[in-house]
Amino acid sequence: MIDLQLQAEVSDIVYREARLIDEQRWEEWIALYCEDAVFWVPAFRMDGSYTEDPKTELNMIYIDNRAGLEARIFRVNTEIALSSTPVPRTTHVVGGVLIDGDDGREVKAYASWQVVWTNDVRGQQVRAGSYAYRLRRADKGLAIAEKKILILDSTIDGYFDVYAI
Amino acid sequence: MAARKDFASYIDERPEDGVFQVSRDVYNDPEVLEAEYENIFERTWIFLCHDSFVSKPGDFYATHIGRQPVFVVRRADGKIDCFLNACGHRGALLVNRRVGNAQSFDCPYHGFCFDNAGKCISVRSKKTGWPDDFDIGHFDLTRIARIDSYRGLVFGSLSPDVPALEVHLGGATKLIDIWVAPAPHPLEIVKGFCIYTSNCNWKVMHENGPDAYHAPVVHRNFAETVAFRESRQKVEGVQRTERGRLTGRIESASYDLGNGHTAFWSQRLDPSVFPIHRQRDELAKRFTPAQLEWIIGRGRHMTIFPNLLLNELASTHLRTYRPLGPEKMETTIWCIAPVGEEPDLREARIRKFEDFFLPSGMATPDDVAICEAAQKASWAKAARASDMSRGSGNAFRIDGPDEAARALGFHPVASSSSWDHEITLQGVYRQWRKMMANPRAAE
Repeated sequence: MIDLQLQAEVSDIVYREARLIDEQRWEEWIALYCEDAVFWVPAFRMDGSYTEDPKTELNMIYIDNRAGLEARIFRVNTEIALSSTPVPRTTHVVGGVLIDGDDGREVKAYASWQVVWTNDVRGQQVRAGSYAYRLRRADKGLAIAEKKILILDSTIDGYFDVYAI
Repeated sequence: MAARKDFASYIDERPEDGVFQVSRDVYNDPEVLEAEYENIFERTWIFLCHDSFVSKPGDFYATHIGRQPVFVVRRADGKIDCFLNACGHRGALLVNRRVGNAQSFDCPYHGFCFDNAGKCISVRSKKTGWPDDFDIGHFDLTRIARIDSYRGLVFGSLSPDVPALEVHLGGATKLIDIWVAPAPHPLEIVKGFCIYTSNCNWKVMHENGPDAYHAPVVHRNFAETVAFRESRQKVEGVQRTERGRLTGRIESASYDLGNGHTAFWSQRLDPSVFPIHRQRDELAKRFTPAQLEWIIGRGRHMTIFPNLLLNELASTHLRTYRPLGPEKMETTIWCIAPVGEEPDLREARIRKFEDFFLPSGMATPDDVAICEAAQKASWAKAARASDMSRGSGNAFRIDGPDEAARALGFHPVASSSSWDHEITLQGVYRQWRKMMANPRAAE
């Protein structure tokens, strides 16, 4: 039996996050995250599998609190980080939002994504992958406790930052 | 063979006038790249892998020497070997995965089978296609001309006409020694790695490594961002990131090590933020004070011409690269660390690596962006050639070792008094000129 109310709430925060990033509404975006939120993009091992243990293995990005995410935006806002100046335009297409579990405190959810990224220097780049969310029930609805992002490409052409995945 | 351009003329070196300039043609001329494949990548020692990639018999690792696909393998007899990654029959790519373990290799095209010493051990339907006395050894894989390793770093050469690896590495061996020796056990590669491609000539990125002059400009945002982050969250000990080196004037030096190899160091303002610092008492028993100063007190960076970069700056890393075209290249990067490292040190080392050295980090994207911007400007051929004269005057540069080099026992071609001098790049391009100017001149 699908909990339609929960499904709608989960979809709402997932889609809303994508839109806030695309509109570069950084403060509102980061406000979706818990203080102790994990933002995690595993790397590939040489055998083609994804890394799984951030304490002992390399990741493309591993941020384990909101301050780390704020720092990424602080960097963009310095306007002296060449790779993000100007910030590339993005469109996040997020779909297939599914609830994977609910322990009363947190809801696990899955979604697939595709991001088209473009700037004048590099032109258009397309990346895709999946999201695994842990969404925590908070006073004002759901908040992001963890977002684990898998990227399909094992070779990264160019570069990317938190807003482009 | 068509007459080649006079590549030596691309370097304008006039020491008496303080001139060292490199023509922008080296960055985008397809003919230059073709000659580099032949005269550099296929004629010298090329870094292949870390020996831990092939630690057990049957382990293999597929990579390239320049444009040529090869694979490194640990043979049944325990020796490391390396073959062109092409079936001995019709040349299909034999090894199609980056790493793995296999006692034999089956070609996915016509089913020929090879052992891990490169011998052809079976040919499908031999009897119905070749005479009874036909020797299938005819199809054996092609072994590269030379393979050797130094302190776990495995190199190979397609040309037999190269000096011994240690001779080729020269003074770089002393710096590799202090990179490896402090660890109680051998170094290992942290699991997980990254490959990224950039829209620039391979030399643009190769220059960016020894070029510390760019750091306070390109990476000022990194220093400011880390300062911001540390103001927002409590971090202690090795979790902290040293950033003074990116913003202030510090004691440092750079070296033209000869054979195109380079190094620089810069004083660590607070050595306690680096994992190795915890070993200082133990290291003090094994190393002289001068060595200890190099190991604990200095951030170090080294490039081995033409395709290896090693450093111990914010974190420890090993990087290799290859051209994919005149204006495209591929970089592969690993974090390297001592076996058995304490968990908190390992975690801090990995986090700092991710912060800086990945195309998803807070510094490397800007390196890639500036290298790609330099590539675009390489077409501004009406402008002055690329200038690499900084620090080459007598006030900054000396022939041979400075005091720090002498203390460690290496003898660079030249030393200069700052990590932001360009004598390193001069060494790179002198080697480039030497190898490019002398190709089969009689043919």
